[in-house]
Amino acid sequence: MVSDLVPWAVTALGGVAYGLLLFVVADGLALIVGVMNVMNLAHGASYLAGAYLACWLADGTLTGLAVAVLAGIAAAAIAGAGLSVLLKPLAGHTEQAAVTLGIGFIASWAFTRLTGGNTLSPPRPAILDGHLSFAGHGYPVYDLTFIVLAIPLAAGMYLIVRRSMAGIRLRAAVDDPLMAAAQGLSVARIRTIALATGTMLAVTAGVLGAPVIGPGPGVDSHVLTLSLIVVILGGAGTNIRALLTSALLVGMVENIGVATVPALASFSLFLIVIAVLVVRGHRQAVSAA
Amino acid sequence: MTSHPTLRIPVARLKRMGAALTVVPLLALSGCGGSSLDDTPNADSTITIGAIWAQSGNYTPLGTDMANGFNLYLTTHGNKLGGHPVVVKTADEGDTDDTALAAARKLLDSDRVDVLVGTASAVPTVKIAPKATTLKIPFIGTGGRPSTIKDVSYIWHTSWLSRETGAAIAPYLAQTVKGPVYAIGPAYTGGYDQMGGFIDAFRKVGGKLANAEGDNPNPDAAFATTPYPVTPDFKPYLNKIRASGAKAVYTFYAGGPATKFVHAYRDAGLSDIPLYGAGFLTEGSQLNPDQEGDAATGIQTVLNYAATVPGQDNADFVQTFQAKYPTIPNLYNVTAWDAAALLDQAIAKAGPHPTGETINAAIGTITQINSPRGTWHFNAQHAPEQQYFLREVRKDGRVLSNVVIRNLTTNIAVSAPPAAK
Repeated sequence: MVSDLVPWAVTALGGVAYGLLLFVVADGLALIVGVMNVMNLAHGASYLAGAYLACWLADGTLTGLAVAVLAGIAAAAIAGAGLSVLLKPLAGHTEQAAVTLGIGFIASWAFTRLTGGNTLSPPRPAILDGHLSFAGHGYPVYDLTFIVLAIPLAAGMYLIVRRSMAGIRLRAAVDDPLMAAAQGLSVARIRTIALATGTMLAVTAGVLGAPVIGPGPGVDSHVLTLSLIVVILGGAGTNIRALLTSALLVGMVENIGVATVPALASFSLFLIVIAVLVVRGHRQAVSAA
Repeated sequence: MTSHPTLRIPVARLKRMGAALTVVPLLALSGCGGSSLDDTPNADSTITIGAIWAQSGNYTPLGTDMANGFNLYLTTHGNKLGGHPVVVKTADEGDTDDTALAAARKLLDSDRVDVLVGTASAVPTVKIAPKATTLKIPFIGTGGRPSTIKDVSYIWHTSWLSRETGAAIAPYLAQTVKGPVYAIGPAYTGGYDQMGGFIDAFRKVGGKLANAEGDNPNPDAAFATTPYPVTPDFKPYLNKIRASGAKAVYTFYAGGPATKFVHAYRDAGLSDIPLYGAGFLTEGSQLNPDQEGDAATGIQTVLNYAATVPGQDNADFVQTFQAKYPTIPNLYNVTAWDAAALLDQAIAKAGPHPTGETINAAIGTITQINSPRGTWHFNAQHAPEQQYFLREVRKDGRVLSNVVIRNLTTNIAVSAPPAAK
């Protein structure tokens, strides 16, 4: 029966939107982890900052949304550069993790103070409000627009990293910092730019994604956990295709998976993560032998 | 920044509405005559109250509302309860029963409080209750109470029993909804109690659920469950409702998850299927434009308070409240206000040097609380015997409000939870 498939198709569409949103956030994290070699556990707070920004600046018009995006990018550039300075003397992942986790907690506390701990729902631009109906099953126009916008964004990222000179420098700094420095590249500057760009991606995802994963207490750690999973599955660094695949996988499990087996909903994602990592580890061990 | 619209309830209209119900206020029960020197409280008799309010996590807004209600009573009564000066020590409830228990431990062991008040979530009371009971410190609960607390000798709730809310609306839904009802709620103790109370009462009066078999493998829960505390997106769960043939949906969510649920319900194209809920779904700040806003319009909920409840006590309360806060008072303000009012009466009767034990004994003698929600008294379970209301979210002037549509049955027989868990 076709009508039986409609709810599943709508749910799968939700998985795509969710996955693409995670892709944008996790992409920023991969850049920070891969290029800066920094374990940035404040990344979820960056998303949350963007989502709250959307609530404060969005006014139901496309202009309001654009203003929120621009404000987010500006704030993220400053925050990213500041983070870069702060983390400069910290070499080890554990120290970085402790400091960024602390920053994340402080940010989260500040947001709770500012918002009274309310989960907010930003107004969507009027032109994108409402939902399409598929045999009585609704799907928000905004989420659909997000999908349409995120696909060229992902493709653009891929082309920049693979083809452009900036991308080549970036990959050089990831693959062999010493050799890149010997070639006259300022690795320090590349790292600062990568951290700022990574934070920008998280904040922009927050601004645009606020109507999908809205801001509230606990959202920062939720988004951080999911994007860490995407980075672990997809690999830190500049492999855009692997990141996109794992982000879509996570999105699907969080939508189709939880609807199929609701009893496992709170940890079904981790079952997949465990399975993928164990199988992959086993294969690598076999091929190395 | 959250914008709290300035809301005003027409107090004069409330007073007129309530004129018929207004009773001559009972003589103040404070003091036992007041002539004896022994009865005069001295500087040593300061009462320390430990308040557990949610200051982080999902229920932060509820915690804030409760703190506001409690503190409002104190400031409007000279910071004294039963004639004794009061010091309030607060601790953060957090998101889990462990964080709340840590808060209770700090207040009981380190601050040596005489009385414990609070918690927004029902769940932590299970862990706090035995600890307070052992120390003979009365615990006045301002949020729900789970069905699993058996020894209530030191436990009093000015709020509600968790299984009571859904039970109060069940007969009405069984009667008015022409077809099966889909039940959905969060998978934690609060959700199991709230939804279980509804489902048991609903089935008892012949109501039929629309939920498919096996939607939730937990045999104790006939409703569709969503993960708690975080359900990132409700749409995957809501997409099953259309095919179930439901003629209405009943749900329980509060705080942040409620905001997400209401928006997801509209987005899932379910607006033609009436949405009913426990009142927490649309209570307090939930109706703010930057939270549920217009998406909540038309939702009908059951609760033991609404700002439009008739009566002199409510009119006075609304006026006092709005002199201090720019919002419409809600149930969380009221349960905490009532906790202070209860202590005011009890401490006055607890002797010149009240202790946890004497205050607890005095609470047992209180026959009536004149609450904004209407007069109530404690039943055998140490919870209010009270009226429930059916409310609908409507534009009341410029702002959205929970408007009382009708009274629901007063005497709710709350069925016991399933024996085997």
